[in-house]
Amino acid sequence: MDYRQEIIDHYKHPRNFGDLEEPCIAVRENNAACGDMVEVKGTLTKEGRVHVLRWRGVGCAISTAAASMLSEEVVGMDKSDLEKFGVDGVVGLLGGEINAGRMKCATLAYNAILKLFTTGVR
Amino acid sequence: MFDIRKVRADFPILSRKVGDAPLVYLDSAATSQKPKQVLEAINDFYTKHNANIHRGVHTLSAEATAMVDAARGKVAKFINAKTEEVVFVRNATEGLNLIAYTWGRENIKKGDVVVVSLLEHHSNLVPWQILCEEVGAHLRIIEIDNEGRLILDGAGTTQLTGRMTVTTGGLASLLDERVKLVAVTAVSNVLGTITPLAEISALIKKKAPQAKLVIDGAQLVPHMKTDVAKLGADFMAFSGHKMLGPTGSGVIWGKKEILEGMKPFLYGGDMIGEVKLTGTTWAGPPSKFEAGTPDIAGIIGLGAAVDYLTNLGMENVREHEKELIGYALGEMEKLEKEGLVTIYGPRSAEERGGVLTFNVKGVHAHDAAQVLDKYGIAVRSGQHCGAPIVERFKEMAMARASFYVYTSKEEIDFLIEKIREVPKIFQI
Repeated sequence: MDYRQEIIDHYKHPRNFGDLEEPCIAVRENNAACGDMVEVKGTLTKEGRVHVLRWRGVGCAISTAAASMLSEEVVGMDKSDLEKFGVDGVVGLLGGEINAGRMKCATLAYNAILKLFTTGVR
Repeated sequence: MFDIRKVRADFPILSRKVGDAPLVYLDSAATSQKPKQVLEAINDFYTKHNANIHRGVHTLSAEATAMVDAARGKVAKFINAKTEEVVFVRNATEGLNLIAYTWGRENIKKGDVVVVSLLEHHSNLVPWQILCEEVGAHLRIIEIDNEGRLILDGAGTTQLTGRMTVTTGGLASLLDERVKLVAVTAVSNVLGTITPLAEISALIKKKAPQAKLVIDGAQLVPHMKTDVAKLGADFMAFSGHKMLGPTGSGVIWGKKEILEGMKPFLYGGDMIGEVKLTGTTWAGPPSKFEAGTPDIAGIIGLGAAVDYLTNLGMENVREHEKELIGYALGEMEKLEKEGLVTIYGPRSAEERGGVLTFNVKGVHAHDAAQVLDKYGIAVRSGQHCGAPIVERFKEMAMARASFYVYTSKEEIDFLIEKIREVPKIFQI
């Protein structure tokens, strides 16, 4: 795979990077194989759609770019929208070519965001 | 010294390409490539001799049995052990678990102590962690210095508390009459550190003579002449697939008198003495620990790998890798001076196996490895099944280039050249 300029751009300038004041929903997801971590915080509308989303974490260019791109993409989505978007959607955002060894990097933020819909507000 | 060009010609995979680039395989610490002699031995077995062992009087079964026995003999000679001390398992991990589940659970009780080092692969840490948790024993951990060398002197201890409480410190301060077992790697798969086994063994004999010593030989046996009679150890585990053999072949060596006193690990066929409905007795070692049909082709392939390494000469293998790591460290240090990379582990080739561990500054190891892959270079990235080591150096991940008999200086030059490309891609 190539590191397209878009990936590098999101990696160097991640969107929606930061913290969110409570009350909000917070999810933390780790990739045990490489130590990457992402924390996603968000609020949902009463219809269950993503209203505001912030994230922070440490990781490689793929996991960072995926989190950054997704943070823009998922606003307005509900759980079934995101499930429909799916892992294929994430791979699509990243340019459509992610090898098996990097799938955990690519889907770290996706898995965290998916959990927003089933995690309580704190 | 052997002719590297001739050696490379024996490894068919080295002529393949990755994309448009020739393969530069620098991940031998994960698994080695296989020479055609090993591939042919496996093929020969399946083509001409395939049958189960120790089970039939027919010709094929007798041939297969003789081939496995011959392989056991080769492995035993290779590490200077008795044949009945060589137990075939799937890999070093299974071997270490076998020791933990048999000797460990029979002998380590509440209040006892197990000592491991911070350099351990997860497979020589987690089985002991779990054992300690289960029986209420204590885990103590030998600390390392900033170059990744084990600290042997007794410079005080520290308590760490998480799911369980462990004690860390220099080896001398961790040894006392409560220590039942010390499990330590001979060569770190993460940093390449060659541990001072003779000193460790002597220290144990002096301060905790009751303790057994388990060696993780996964990165030792493939790379250096190993003589179990001189190790001062009671057990050693290693993997066949890291020493030119096929996956699914591994070995534990144990002192005969200890193996004889141990309970089996798995129960079933081929490991029994006498079976009655009212009770069963066990075969002696090694059969006692080899229940069920083993990886027969894997064992035969391992035998061929041992032949191959014996022909090269293990002193030559070490000499070759020492030269490579010395050269690689020198070249990497130039990049370090330019502020491009961080290097981890011992800086002297004397103290280090053929393992070069690094990060490109400002770039995650996975990203560096991904860029190198574009040029056909295979390096490992991540935590290398040694998360506590990576954490010790305050990193999330590290990249690792590891060498073997087929690795050339030109490949190291190519690696260094392409590492220079990595920061450019990430605009650093």
